[in-house]
Amino acid sequence: MSLLRPRRATDPLWMLAPTLLLLAVFFFYPLGFAVYRSLFRWDLLTPPEYVGLDNYRALIESGELISAFTTTLAFSLVVVVGAMALGLGLAMLLNRRGAFAGFIRSAIFSAYVVSWVSVALLWMWVLDSQGVLSAWVSALGLTPLDWLGDPDVALYSLAAVTIWKIAGYAMVLYLAGLQDVPPVLYEAAALDGAGPIARFRHITWPLLRPTSAFVGTTSLIASFQVFDVVRVMTQGGPVRSTTVFVYAIYEQIFMNLRVGRASALVVVFFLMLLGLTALQLWAWRAKRGAS
Amino acid sequence: MRRGAVNLGLLAVGLVWLLPYAWMVVTSFKTLPEIVEAPTAPLPSGLPLDAYQEVMRSLPLGRYLFNTLVMSLLIAALQIAVALPAAYALSKLSFRGRGVAFGLVVATLLIPAQVRFVPVFAMLADVGLANTMTALVLPFGVSAFGTFLLRQALGSVPTQVIEAARMDGASELYIVFGMLPRMIVPSLVAFFMFSFIYHYSDYFWPLVMTADDKVRTLPLGVALLREQGTGVRWHVVMAGNVLLSLPVLGLFAVAQRHLLRAVTSRGL
Amino acid sequence: MSRRAWLAGSLAAGGALIGCAESIPKGRQGVDLWFSYGGKNRQLLERLVARYNESQPAIWVRPVFQGDYFECLAKLRTAVAAGAAPALSHVVGEVVPYLAEAGVLEPLSDYPGAGELDFVPSLGQAGTWARGAARPLVALPFNRSTPIAYLNGKLLKEARLEPPRSWDELTEAARALGSRSGAAPRWGFECPIDWWFWVALVGQAGGQIIEPNGELSLGGEAGAQGVLLWQRLVRDRLMRPPPGRDYNAWEVVNQDFLAGRAAMIWTSTAFLRYLEENARFPVLAAPLPKHTRRAVPTGGTFFVVLRRAPEDEKRAAWEFLRWMNQAEQSVDWATGTGYLPVTKQAVSLLETRGYYQEHPNDRVAYDQLEVAMTWPWSRSLFRVQREVIQPRLEQAVLTGTPARELLDEARALARRELGSSEVSPGTSSGASSGRREVAE
Repeated sequence: MSLLRPRRATDPLWMLAPTLLLLAVFFFYPLGFAVYRSLFRWDLLTPPEYVGLDNYRALIESGELISAFTTTLAFSLVVVVGAMALGLGLAMLLNRRGAFAGFIRSAIFSAYVVSWVSVALLWMWVLDSQGVLSAWVSALGLTPLDWLGDPDVALYSLAAVTIWKIAGYAMVLYLAGLQDVPPVLYEAAALDGAGPIARFRHITWPLLRPTSAFVGTTSLIASFQVFDVVRVMTQGGPVRSTTVFVYAIYEQIFMNLRVGRASALVVVFFLMLLGLTALQLWAWRAKRGAS
Repeated sequence: MRRGAVNLGLLAVGLVWLLPYAWMVVTSFKTLPEIVEAPTAPLPSGLPLDAYQEVMRSLPLGRYLFNTLVMSLLIAALQIAVALPAAYALSKLSFRGRGVAFGLVVATLLIPAQVRFVPVFAMLADVGLANTMTALVLPFGVSAFGTFLLRQALGSVPTQVIEAARMDGASELYIVFGMLPRMIVPSLVAFFMFSFIYHYSDYFWPLVMTADDKVRTLPLGVALLREQGTGVRWHVVMAGNVLLSLPVLGLFAVAQRHLLRAVTSRGL
Repeated sequence: MSRRAWLAGSLAAGGALIGCAESIPKGRQGVDLWFSYGGKNRQLLERLVARYNESQPAIWVRPVFQGDYFECLAKLRTAVAAGAAPALSHVVGEVVPYLAEAGVLEPLSDYPGAGELDFVPSLGQAGTWARGAARPLVALPFNRSTPIAYLNGKLLKEARLEPPRSWDELTEAARALGSRSGAAPRWGFECPIDWWFWVALVGQAGGQIIEPNGELSLGGEAGAQGVLLWQRLVRDRLMRPPPGRDYNAWEVVNQDFLAGRAAMIWTSTAFLRYLEENARFPVLAAPLPKHTRRAVPTGGTFFVVLRRAPEDEKRAAWEFLRWMNQAEQSVDWATGTGYLPVTKQAVSLLETRGYYQEHPNDRVAYDQLEVAMTWPWSRSLFRVQREVIQPRLEQAVLTGTPARELLDEARALARRELGSSEVSPGTSSGASSGRREVAE
């Protein structure tokens, strides 16, 4: 894009001042604070004590860092793959005219608008061991899983709830992508005798690749920052099986009063997020490049 | 015939989303003995408003809703007011440090609130602002995402338009706040709605920043209904949940078109 | 009407409509009380506070609800750090030493009438926390409890059983009372996999968490015995380990009991009234069984006054606490909830009124105090509990990891946490010593 010269040299300054000031106070100062405090033992109540890199060492030695990382990663992978697959499936199914299909699309997308707390409370009740889902599974003659109480299951239950909430968003993006696919391509392929699977593989999927990259990165980032569902539904348990990164930070500060250790987690987490930001920008560029 | 089968299939899929909502509403019309006795009974025995009365009794609901609306509106308005001039400078003006400034904004795109609340809380408390509306609004004054979005939108406004306005003697202030917003209304509406919905639903920040009913928000209040003490009272929690969801679902029903356009065209 | 007047008027009308947060009446000394109960207990506390506010013209206590214990505590600590804390709150017992040593709590010994408060010794932590030690009074017992057993009277009668008095009888009763068949299977026994009940088991097996010499033993072999009992019961499907963490699990236990899905549960005496009022069968309370001996921990919260609050607020808070500890209020609180009466006057008032004859269930927890274990004055015990013990208990019971292995691991970690000179079992003065180790 072509750029204009500012009328006065100071114009950009006042235009950017509010943004930069707020960023400095509410973003960069807190981050600097975290980096600094990660070198201390501090419980908020008594004076901090300098401990060097002890907090990082403790996080690594206790396995907390690696466990928070792998838990978050497992959760994210399930959510990303699930949201993309379900979003695409729903989009292909609902890519049709008619008021009824429109109504179903709205119902699915509405979950994206409702608050996380609402969704978490609602599903906590559905997944309760005396809840309606377990009752249905029992009625079919099967043994229901302990959705939120089994350490091998709980994380995936949370992932499923998250997918339920964001699949509508993925669906809407895929719908837009599908509508951009020129119908002539399908017609030509049909003339060549390509079946539905071949058409999907050779036309739909390649053309949707930028959309997929976008859906993938946004759900990756959202799932990396998951907190509300964990806080409301499992509080990180059972047996720490749902202690994802952000919840670990919260727990260290609030429950364990370890601000130093929490700060060390913040620093590591921030570095990971920076990596993801780069990924996000790349995906946006890819999407814009495609449209 | 075939259309009927298709619609049946669509309905089956839609039920995965519709049934949980229905379950929420059904549960909110049950009474404590019913919840204890038969938690999965498909229908309540009547339409008692016990649970809703209980919600009203234990929460100053109107106050919470008011706080939530004021907070979300203020945040959205402030974010737009702050982002507009920044986005203009970043998209239209050439000056030294432009790349750096943009980099700084983008770097904060993904910093979640949980990462920054301790120092922010301490800072605000130092100046007597903890547990105030300011503590809920000001830290969200900059939306990296909003700046990014408006920068993209302004980027599509032809430079000649701005040059012409300058020729006509319009001040930069007028260009930024008077002329340009009118040219990117869809983006502004979309961003406003996203910001509003996000902060209306926000749980974490009000959780850590507020200490009493003066500034508490609705999601917090509803989560507090799951309070410990005696036993879960799911009918009350779900009644609170219905009351919490209604306003956003209402907004969604009215403004769905804008929202969908925002999602698809701008990749929010 | 000028524009400004119109604006002010409509703002006022809006404010009235919205119902502004309760404000302190003119001329009264205001005191905020941060509290953490839900449901019935919350309503009772609010009624008591309202009664206090009406009973005198000088002080106005404003109760502010803060979620569950952990949430309230978290709030309190951040608020203390930020200088935004209220004058009055209540906190779980395990965390009192920590807060006291951090210098957050107001010493109350010299406040007027402090010497006359006559607490039931084990509820006031006599000997370790309160008078009897050189340590000043920093916490007044409020909603204090012990774990007790609740039994479904109908099922018990059908099975012709008495409440179990030993671990073996508990196992047998769980077998007899449970039923795995039919449309509605029923668990014989249910108990939250929680530190508190484990401490009870450790005591019953003859151990204690911290030895009299200050060594953190986690009960030694008794600690393992407690976990092994749970593991056996769960393996044989005699006991349901309830899902959920912290109080979620406790709520599930109550719910299962009320719905007849669990015949026998262990939980706090605090739920006595709630369970009695909502059960459709006779509820029978019983003391916990013994293994090698009888033992229970105490639980619940203590009132604390925050040191950094303004002087006149602290004095007003103290006046309220004195009022709350009058026999009448103590009795109302205890009989309305199931918590224990905390002062001796309250107990004798209940006895002279013949309350315990009419409500034998209420008597169970009180009688159990004979065998109550006192908590040591330990700065980091709450941390050991949350970070070291609790997750391992869940792990042992839910995944069947060997109990002794886990406890060895826990001991090693906990000792590192506690340091060597951390625990003072009774008499030494704590406020000034060992400050260096306080943080983290």
